[in-house]
Amino acid sequence: MKMIKSLSKNNSKVILELKNITKTYLTGTNCFTALDNVSLKIHQGEFVSITGPSGSGKSTLMHIVGLLDNPTSGEILLNGKDISKFKEHQLAQIRNVTLGFVFQQFNLLAKTSALENVLLPLLYSDVPKHQRQEMGIKMLTKVGLLDKIKNTPAQLSGGQQQRVAIARALINNPQIILADEPTGNLDSKSGSEIMNFFHQLNQKEGRTIVFVTHDMDLAKQAKRTIIIKDGKILESKNA
Amino acid sequence: MLKPSFRDLLKSSLRSILKNKSRTILTSLGIIIGVTSVILLTSIGNGLKSYVTKQFDALGANSIFISPGKIFNDNGGFSQSSMATAMTTTFTKKDLNLLDRKLKNTVVMPVNATYADVKSTYAIKKSIEIDGSTEEYGKSNNVVPSEGNGRWFTNEEDNKKTPVVVLGYKIAQTLFPKSTAIGKKVIIKGKTLKVIGVVDQKGASFGGPSVDDAVYAPFSVVSDLAGNDNINTFVVRAPNKDLINDTKKSITKIMLEKYDSDAFSVFDSSQLLTSINSIISVLTIALTGIAAISLIVGGVGIMNIMLVSVTERTREIGLRKAIGAYPRAILIQFLIEAIILSCFGGLVGVILGSLGALAINSFFPAEITISSVILAFAVSSAVGIIFGVAPARKASKLSPIEALRYE
Repeated sequence: MKMIKSLSKNNSKVILELKNITKTYLTGTNCFTALDNVSLKIHQGEFVSITGPSGSGKSTLMHIVGLLDNPTSGEILLNGKDISKFKEHQLAQIRNVTLGFVFQQFNLLAKTSALENVLLPLLYSDVPKHQRQEMGIKMLTKVGLLDKIKNTPAQLSGGQQQRVAIARALINNPQIILADEPTGNLDSKSGSEIMNFFHQLNQKEGRTIVFVTHDMDLAKQAKRTIIIKDGKILESKNA
Repeated sequence: MLKPSFRDLLKSSLRSILKNKSRTILTSLGIIIGVTSVILLTSIGNGLKSYVTKQFDALGANSIFISPGKIFNDNGGFSQSSMATAMTTTFTKKDLNLLDRKLKNTVVMPVNATYADVKSTYAIKKSIEIDGSTEEYGKSNNVVPSEGNGRWFTNEEDNKKTPVVVLGYKIAQTLFPKSTAIGKKVIIKGKTLKVIGVVDQKGASFGGPSVDDAVYAPFSVVSDLAGNDNINTFVVRAPNKDLINDTKKSITKIMLEKYDSDAFSVFDSSQLLTSINSIISVLTIALTGIAAISLIVGGVGIMNIMLVSVTERTREIGLRKAIGAYPRAILIQFLIEAIILSCFGGLVGVILGSLGALAINSFFPAEITISSVILAFAVSSAVGIIFGVAPARKASKLSPIEALRYE
């Protein structure tokens, strides 16, 4: 804890805070600890990478930060509010409005147009219907896919699919963008395009971005890198 | 407020159903078959009822029947002991005279029925019911031949035992396939009778004897053929409909002077009609119930496919949850899909059942009623809801991360 505090001299507002998060899995009779008493803070406007060897617990950490998985113990504070005891429908609302998730596998709906994929989160939001279409087009323009709004994922390249996924993550104007190996399924060229796009979002719009990668070089592109091993944070250093 | 709106949910459910057209049709097949058979069976039941009603109307609304034996039990159904007494008791000419004397403004017609083979030079019809009665019987029972088809017999012919006979439409066709039967001879029990008339076609019948299969002759002639002048049934024509009940009471009083209350029955066509219709209703309900089982089987089919669909779309469910779908939104989405599948099945079933009933109607009485259509459709939708709940709940309870990881 002390180490993290001394290393992150960021004075801006803390959006998300994990306190003593532990996650254990029961595999048959064995108890496997994926995260061991992990604490961390994400500040407004930060660009953070989480890295570590495979099986280190970085994905589990990401899923807990993204409220996709429940910790076994510990607290999650979002904007200072403890949400670890929230009910599933309350968590769903936070995932919808406050978080924007980008996956390694893109996870776009097949046989569904790029625009409809981008609009999907709005289905579960309070955004009035007549505004949705326009918002979706704006987002797709932002990721440079205005000419592809009617294309289905099968008609798009991997990089384009991931850009659709990013547009989908951005549509509800979330406080944090979480990306789990966002370039893992892409060739190096498309991968660096995606990374550049994240840099732009962080620098120009001040968006808070957290991404997971196993690639050390990629991780170093972030302003802060959290290295995790065996379920524990080894170090958290600013670039 | 429901998020997403019902329209959005409906749209996305419809889309997923349309993506898998053949699966949709196969899934709905169970419901289609169920609804079709329910509609067909209720249509046939209703058709039979109205057919029977029409037949009884043809018998003459003002007619009262006196039969041996106790036909009806106290509940309005048919009595079980009727056959036994009906075989042993018959009425006599004395009863006829008594009824004739005591009843005012009515016509009392005796009927003596016997069974015999009827021969012509062309063909033979075995075991045909030959009804012996009077001149009035023809009018009273709507069996007087229309113009050009000969005539009904007269009371004079009855008194003189003139060997004349009136044939039902089908009998006439069978015995005299090539030319008109009128004026020809038929042989019954070795006696030669002259055909003087052919009753108009009364239409298809189901089961029991129809007017088309009947042979009528003067009472005295049939008595000779049967070898007795017993009277099996009296048909009494009341002066008008309102006096039916009064006349029935008078008849019962007269008959009780001579017979046990169990030995005879006095009834009018409406009573008989009610009993027959109640039997048809019970049969219809029983058959429809059996058909309804296929609706349940159809529901199980829908549940099965929806469970498969939930498994198939686990990743999609995981994604929807990851981007903010709360459990109930997923539940409703899958429930709507199940309901659409069953409603689609119900709709197709209603159409097929109605077309089928129309087709059947050309050779068997069938009548589609709005209530049966609504009922079948409502039940099929309910089946969708009931059998859609389990898969939809399963989908809504999936953990987002496990669903996303599902391969």
